[in-house]
Formats: sequence, structure tokens, C-alpha cells
Amino acid sequence: MKLENTLDPQSRRAFCERWAKAALGVTVLGGGTRGIFAAEEAAALPSGFGFGKAKNIIFLQMIGGMSHIDTLDPKEGETGGPLAPIGTSAGFQLGGTMTNLANHAGDITLIRSMTSKTGVHDSGQYLIRSGYEQRGTIKHPNLGAWAQHFKGPSHDTLPSSVCVNRQPENGNGFFPSSYSPLPILDPEAGLQYSKTDVDADIMAKRLEMLNRLDSGFRERFKTAAVESYTQFYEKTVGIMSSADLSAFRIDDEPAELRETYGDNKLGQGCLLARRLIERGIRYVEVTGGGWDMHTNVEEGMAERGAELDLALSGLLADLKSRGLLESTLVVLCSEFGRTPKINANAGRDHHPRVFSTLLAGGGVKGGYVHGSSDKEGFAIADKEVRVQDFLATVAWSLGLPLEEVAKSASNRPFTVANHGKPVMEVFA
Amino acid sequence: MVDSKTMRTRLIILSACAFFPALHAAGPEATAPDGNAVYRTWTDNQGKKLEATFRGIEGGQVFLQVRNGYVYRLPLDKLSPEDQAAAKTLKPEGLGIPADPKLAQAAARIDVLVNAGLEKAQQKPNPLASDEQFVRRVYLDIAGRIPTAAETLAFIRDTSLSKRAKLIDVLLESDGYRSHLFNYFADMMRVADSANKVRYYTYQDWLKGQIAVNRPWDEIVHEMMTADGKLLENGATGYLLRDAGMRLDNLSLTLSTFLGANVSCAQCHDHPFADWTQRDFYEMAAFFGATETYGAKGSKGGTSKDMRRALASIEDRRVQQQAKNVMRVNSMAVVDTGENDLALPHDYQYDDAKPGDPVAPKLISWGDAAPPTLPAFSTSGKEESEADLRLRFADWMTAPENPRFAMTIANRLWKRAFGVGVREPITDLDEPDASVNPALLHHLASEMVRLDFDLKQFMRLLYNTQTYQREATSYELTDNTPYLFPGPILRRMSAEQAWDSCATLVVGEDVDQFKSHRGDKYAEVMNIDFAGGSTPEIIRAEIEEAVAGLREYGGKGQAKTKVKGNKKRAMRKAAMEEDAEEEEEDFTVTPPMRNGLVLARASELPQPERDQHFLRMFGQSDRQIADSQSTEGSIPQVLMLMNGEAQEVIGESESLVVKAAAALATPEEQVTSLYLSFLSRRPQPDELATAVEGLKSGLTMRDLTWVLFNTREFVFVE
Repeated sequence: MKLENTLDPQSRRAFCERWAKAALGVTVLGGGTRGIFAAEEAAALPSGFGFGKAKNIIFLQMIGGMSHIDTLDPKEGETGGPLAPIGTSAGFQLGGTMTNLANHAGDITLIRSMTSKTGVHDSGQYLIRSGYEQRGTIKHPNLGAWAQHFKGPSHDTLPSSVCVNRQPENGNGFFPSSYSPLPILDPEAGLQYSKTDVDADIMAKRLEMLNRLDSGFRERFKTAAVESYTQFYEKTVGIMSSADLSAFRIDDEPAELRETYGDNKLGQGCLLARRLIERGIRYVEVTGGGWDMHTNVEEGMAERGAELDLALSGLLADLKSRGLLESTLVVLCSEFGRTPKINANAGRDHHPRVFSTLLAGGGVKGGYVHGSSDKEGFAIADKEVRVQDFLATVAWSLGLPLEEVAKSASNRPFTVANHGKPVMEVFA
Repeated sequence: MVDSKTMRTRLIILSACAFFPALHAAGPEATAPDGNAVYRTWTDNQGKKLEATFRGIEGGQVFLQVRNGYVYRLPLDKLSPEDQAAAKTLKPEGLGIPADPKLAQAAARIDVLVNAGLEKAQQKPNPLASDEQFVRRVYLDIAGRIPTAAETLAFIRDTSLSKRAKLIDVLLESDGYRSHLFNYFADMMRVADSANKVRYYTYQDWLKGQIAVNRPWDEIVHEMMTADGKLLENGATGYLLRDAGMRLDNLSLTLSTFLGANVSCAQCHDHPFADWTQRDFYEMAAFFGATETYGAKGSKGGTSKDMRRALASIEDRRVQQQAKNVMRVNSMAVVDTGENDLALPHDYQYDDAKPGDPVAPKLISWGDAAPPTLPAFSTSGKEESEADLRLRFADWMTAPENPRFAMTIANRLWKRAFGVGVREPITDLDEPDASVNPALLHHLASEMVRLDFDLKQFMRLLYNTQTYQREATSYELTDNTPYLFPGPILRRMSAEQAWDSCATLVVGEDVDQFKSHRGDKYAEVMNIDFAGGSTPEIIRAEIEEAVAGLREYGGKGQAKTKVKGNKKRAMRKAAMEEDAEEEEEDFTVTPPMRNGLVLARASELPQPERDQHFLRMFGQSDRQIADSQSTEGSIPQVLMLMNGEAQEVIGESESLVVKAAAALATPEEQVTSLYLSFLSRRPQPDELATAVEGLKSGLTMRDLTWVLFNTREFVFVE
């Protein structure tokens, strides 16, 4: 589904106005003093440089700290890990478990010079979703919420953001709760509570009675809060009774295709993500658990690594065959990497100093590696990319105005990706 | 009882206009406290006259309210014969009376200020709320749940004039009051079972205890600011330890939560809109500069090496992990170091000091601050011991003379009663005079001081106002128009109110039976004494005992004394055989359960509840951000209301509402019973006809409970 068709006229106009403002440098010229993607740089960039190429984002987040060395940034020698690196047609190497992904090397960009400041899971996940440090005084939105803020909703009845395999925390931030991602805790089970245990005609009678008995109250209190509830009921009933609900039913997919993604929550979650973006949901986050491999990284990679390899390859192949890869940016990230040194328990520990991420589709180059780590995979060797820069790159691909300030209810100013600088080299 | 002599004295005072001269100057004719203008001159049997509104007659007493709000209570036979006749025939004005004339007067004073604000803007107060509206609202606001059908009927049928005031008194003494106020503070102060990898049960129990004995607010806050020692031994340390090792964040929240000082910007740079500088912020933080809340350092000393040695000597990895948890909670403490180590941040960017410079403590002041002669407001701090820094801060912060402390809590409790603060946001009172009604705001602050920070008395006052007892405002509030309080606003139930109400529908008043007191048990099991003389062996044995104790008490909640000797070793062995690191420490006693739902008050359930629980889906704060409960809807939430466990449990045949209705003979009675249970009112004739028709054409009682549960009327509070 194309963006133009899914925005209502008002949202589209608001979006166009916002972008025009940003592109003309209005906000940039009046802008800040430090750390901001400055005006002259914006001017120097060829217009349309990957900007807005992605209409949808599939954001794969590996929970626990994905070992960069065993996946996207393989090393030889003592710190290399259990499996030897494998070669690809694009000339770079991948971790030994990434055998299927190797076939897609021509479609992906790797960033091997990511760095973060936190080695704590929660705060690392929060940072890579929002670009901000976790605080006790404010919640920061994720990219899906920012996109909804700038672009309006992406679908008439369904939410614009969905998160698969996780709770909806780190979602809408200070934006309204309607920007919160809809959680799908189990891709096989679909949308929680979407099924009723009463017959359709009874449900219809209940709903009719509900409308009649509640009409007096709704007549007396025509406030936005009451009306918004009524709209949520209408939308929910709409979802329950309409074809939209089928977006969440992956058992409608052919068995062979489901197999290519892998029979696990990550793989089936990726398949669900494809169904959802296909139906106009803009932002889908899929989390994969089990990456905190303090012990036995070999065993861990044999399970989690293999799952990821299959899921991501299945997703890329499927998107490509449907012609969706150009308009969909696939992102693979984790809160940090893992230590090159293998510990006494044959595992690796937390390592935010350098780690890797992957981008594919959405106007990004194929077969490209940006930045590098040193020989052991311990520190950055070239082209540091901070978490904020990484998020700015994703936001850029989605066409979000990076300098435009949004104010929280407490009147504090925030920007998408927290003044990160997009990595322009990754765009084709 | 007022004899005629007292009566005479009062009349004299009244004629001298001794009570609120300023208000009289503002225009006495137009500002009758409850908005009614029906005054008449009453004459007693000695010929003295009194101009007053007739508020009713009860038990041989006549209630007359004069213009300043004071309610006189006179024996009927003290009135002149004509007025005795009048009192027997006149219809009372307003909605009953508080039995306490002083309370009536104080409430009326608030009404006068509200009405003056309304009048200035040429607005009128809302009509007075009906008994049905009042009973539901006041149960939800004070006791945190809807009334049962029986409670509603008892109130509606009560003919006493003072029944509203009496109900307020009853509810303020109920368990529900404590539970509901705890929920409010838990959201405000981010009270969570678990943070920094330890459990804060002792903090919760402490807070509940303070509420239960109605400890004055200034004392509660003072104690939180100055609490010392281990979390396990002193729950009051929980407030500072909630942000262990992050004293700047903690201070930022302290200032905004308790003093309405909006300084969060100044933590990192000068505040862009207000007067706070980053330096101001650091100078305030210096009062905590000699206080250590970071666990590891907090228990430094001779034993820490022993602790590490003891830990290292445990070979089993799982037990070692559990032992680490035991050690961690034992090292959670507030310790005064005696030395202020606060320094400006490395990126300090202003000219008045260099990054890394030490910061001396200095209190902030507001334009309207009290005179500096008061001890709490002394600005020089050098001569005093650094060990007393926190004490000085707490004294200053909670002093009645502090222009913001009383005002902040008063404005918060006002918002809790009316839905909107007199000044918004409640965390920013930097400019009280920019409030929609500055006179009201200042008055509420002075009432809080007059009542010695007695929160219960303050709430009693608010709930007894006519302003509170008006109909909810039915029009949309816009951002630009100040809300002047023609009545409370329509509010969606908080998550806790909705949950507690669901449980009430199923089990009625029994919802208050279950109480969780996890703090004592937790502390008993976990607390290890590291006093001098401990060897690594003794510490190790203590740790293992605690780990084993956890196993025994986990999920059972029956506190016993620690076990010794062989049994201890056997349990340790059992502990080692069990798996998992995280299943420790579940001290929940089992309360009534239906369909996987624990039917107890939200205050007695995990803080906060798990993500997919009704409470969280309905907006309970995750306790990461202060005051962050949400009253917004969402698709997952509505799906849960329509198809989740709660509607199912409420509609089951063993549910109280269904049982009560099913016991009645006719469909009309049944529908009426359900309406009273869910909405605290009887159905309108057309509603009754519709619902009865539904019952006759295939819908069941369960379907009707579903319908009423899913109405907007159920989740919104009029």
C-alpha cells in the first residue's frame, strides 16, 4: 500500500508542510549550536539521497546483546569463536552460522563500527529504540511513534505500529497512547483477546444493546475522552469483524513459505511483519530473545544464530519476490555486542564498545560494509557510528525531518534520533 | 448544642463582619457559598435576628447557614413560633450539611473563592449532583472503588440531612481510603516491587503504615529525606534508594514532586524558560552530596572483603547467583559519609565556575519566599556539619513557611478530587499567581498548613465543599480556556479504580480482606547482620540460610523464624537442587482467585502488575516515570474489556452481581439490581424496557453484565 493512499488529506498536508519547512532549512537555520546535523551539511547532500525511500520499517531487535563476532563481523584467531567465518559473493565475510544470509549478501549493508555507552540490557534496548538515555522524568518515543507524529496514521483501522514478541513498552513515549505499538506476544496466536467466546449473533445483540443503553451517557458527555473511547470501540469491533484481523493470521500463509522463515517465534514473527507491512502498517518491530550468551556461545549460536539466519533470509527473499524490498527497510540490531574474549564458561560478556548492525532494502546499498572494528573486534577501527547516528539513518530512510522539534507535555524539546547524523554512505 | 448566649455572641461577631472582610468587600450579595440566593431573616424566641439559608431540620435541630458559610445548629424551640412553623414547612436549600459547623464554614470558604473565580469569568457553577452521582463518585474518589448495590441503596434511602458528610467520614476511615491513597503515592513516587535488582517491599509496607496512621505529610516527607540505614531495616530509605546511585535524578524528582519546582532542565543546562540555573540545581544537590545511596559503597568497610570472599567460596553457580542477590539487598542502604563530594559536571558550560568545581549547598528561593530569619531558611551553610546537610534540606523543604511545600500537596489533592489542578502542571508551581484562581491556590496552601499537613482532614474539607458535590462538567475542556471549577470534571477511572471496582462486582466488600505485608517477611529472610566479628564462614552460612529461607517462603508467604542447624543444611541442599535464578522471593499470600485473576485490591498486588494484566492494560503506571498513569484507551485495552478475563469473571454465576440479580423474581428487578451494581443508579424507564426486552429475547444475565461493563458510563466517573 502506498503512503499517498493511506494518509488522510489533512495529515498529508501537515506532513508536506513539515517536510517543506525542514527541507527549506527553516528549522535548520534557526537551529541549535552543537551536535546537530548542521545546515551546511544538509545543503551539501544531494536531495533525495535515500530520503523517504522506505515506506515501511521492519525493525529486528535481538534481545540480550547479539555477538557481532559470531554474526556480522567475524574474526579469525583466538577471539574468532566456535565457527570459522564464511565468504560471500559480495566479498565480505559473515559468521559461520549465517549460511543462508550469505546468499543475500548483495542485498545488505553492514555497519561494523557501532558503539553505545551502556552495557546494561534495559538501558541499551531503550537507547537503541529511542536514541535517548532512559530517565525517570520522561519517556522517549521509538521510531514508529515518531513516524506517526510526522506522517499521521498509516492505516484506517489498524494501528500504525506493531511490536511482535514483546510488550509495548518503549513505544509511544510522550506521544498519545494511540501511537503505542500494538503488541503481538505470540505470532502464532495473533492479536490477544481478538476472539470472543460468544456466538456472532449474540455479540451483535450485545453491541446493539451497548449502544442503546450507553447512548444517554454519551449524549450528556460529549467530551473528547468519551468520544475517543467510543472510537476505540468502533475500531476494535471493526478489527474483530473485518478482514483486517486476517493481517494477524499467519496460518493463512502457505506451509512451504512459513517453513522458509523457520518454525520459531522470531521466524514466524518476521513472516507476520511482512504480512503487516503489506497491509499498510508502517512500523513493525520483531524481537528475538536468547542472545545473552554468557555461557557456551557455540550452543547459543547453533540455536539463536541459526534461527536468525533463517528468519532474516526468509524475510529478505519473501520481500524481494513480492517487490516490497525497495519500499521496506529491514533493520537488524541489538543493544550491544559481546566481548571478543571468550570467558571461562565458553561464553562472551557484554560489549557496547563496538558492535554491528545490518540494513537492507529501503534505498540502502547492497553488498556494502560501513566502518570496521579492529582485529579482535574489540574497538572501532574506522568510522564510528553512534546509536543516534544509526537511528538517524533509519529515520532518514523513512523520510522523517531530523531537526524538527517535538515538545513533550512538559514542554521539553526532543527530536527524532536525538541529533544523530545519518550515515549517508549506506544509501545507494 | 448552641444556647442563646452563644447565639448572641455569634450574632454580634457576625454583625461586625469579623469573618471574611475581604470577601464581603468583593460583593457579598453575589457570592453565596453554594450559589443559592435564597436567604431569609430568622428570628429566635428572644427577638434576635439572623439572615441565613435554611439547610434543613433533623433531630429537632434546625440548620441555618449564613453568608460566610457558617452553619448554625439551633434547637427548634429556640426559634420564634412563626419561624418554627417555617422550618417545618420550608424545603431545605442545597444538599445536606456537615455535622461540624467549622468544617461547613471552611468548606464554604473554598466555595466562595471558587464562585468568585467563576463569577469573574461570568460562568455559573454546575447544578448540585444527585445522590446517585455523589455516592458513586465519592466511593471511587475516597475508597477507590464503586459502591455495591447494597451500599448505594443504603445511601439513597438514608433521609438524614448530614448523610453526605457522614459517608465522607465513613469512607475516610475505610481500608479502601488507605489502599487508594497508596496507589496515588505509588504512581507519584514510582513505587515498584523491584528495581536495582532488589525488592522494595519494606518501603511499601512503611508507606502503607504511614497512610494507615494518617501521619502528617510534612513528617512523612521529612522522614524520607533523612532516613538512614539499610532498606531491609528501615523502609523509609526506599524513597532515596529508589534511585540508588543517581542522586541528581532523585533530586530532580524530589523538587518537582514535593515542591512543584520544575528543574528537570536545569539538571543538564540552565532552564530555558524559568529562572533555574544549572548551578542552582547543583547547589541543591549538594545537600545530598554527603549521602551515599549506591549499594556497593553504602556498605563499605571491613566486611565487604569478607562478603566477596564468602561469595567466591560458593561453587554452585545458581546458589552463587542467589547469594549475590542476598548480598545486593543487604548492601542497599543510605549512608552519610560526612563529606560533601558533589562537583559540577564535566561539561559545565557557564562562566561562573569550572567543570569539576566542588559545589557548596545552597537553598533555592522563590520570589515570594518567607523571610530569611527563619532557621529553616538560613542561606549560609558553611559553619554547619556536613553530616547534617540532609536534615537541613528536609527542615527547609517541609517547613510550613516554605511557600511551595504545602501548596504542592494541596494542589495535588485538589486535582485528585476535581480532575484538574488549580495550577497545572502540578509539578510546576513556579508561578502560582499565573494559576486560574490564585486566591484559591494560596488559600488551599494555607488550609494545608492550618490543618498541620493532615491529609485526611484536608480531603474531608475538599469533599465537603459544594464545589465537589456538583455535577461533573459535561463540556469539553480546551487547552486555552482556564477551568474554573464549576464542579469536578468527568474523569475516566484510574486503572486501580477500575480494577478494584471489577473485584468489587465479583466479591463485594470482601475485596478488602486480602492484605499483602511482604516487607517484614522479606526483611526477616534476607537481612544479614554484618556486625564486627563476622568471618567469611559465618557470612557464608548466613547467606545460605537466607537463600534457603527464600525457597521455603517463596509462594507461601507464611513467615516463620529462621531455621537452624540440620534443617538449614537440608534446605540449602534443596535450594541447590531447584533451578532458575529469578523465581526467588515471591511472597504473595494466595487471595481469592477466579480464572487466573487475583481478586484483591491493586495496592496488594505486584507493584506494578505484569504487562498484560488488566491493571497495566488499563493504564497503571509502570512506575518508571513519576505520575505516569494513563487514562487513555487503546485497541488492545478495548479488546481486553470485550473479550478478556475480567468480563468473564464478572459475568459468571458465582459473581456477586449475578447472584444478587438472579435471586430476584422479575426481569425488571434483575435489571434494576444490575444497574445499581454497575452504575450506582436505577435504570431510566426506556433503559429498563430495552434491557428487559433483551432478557426476553435471548440475552442472558451474563450478556447484560457484559453490556454494562462495556459502557462508557461504567469507566467514567461523573
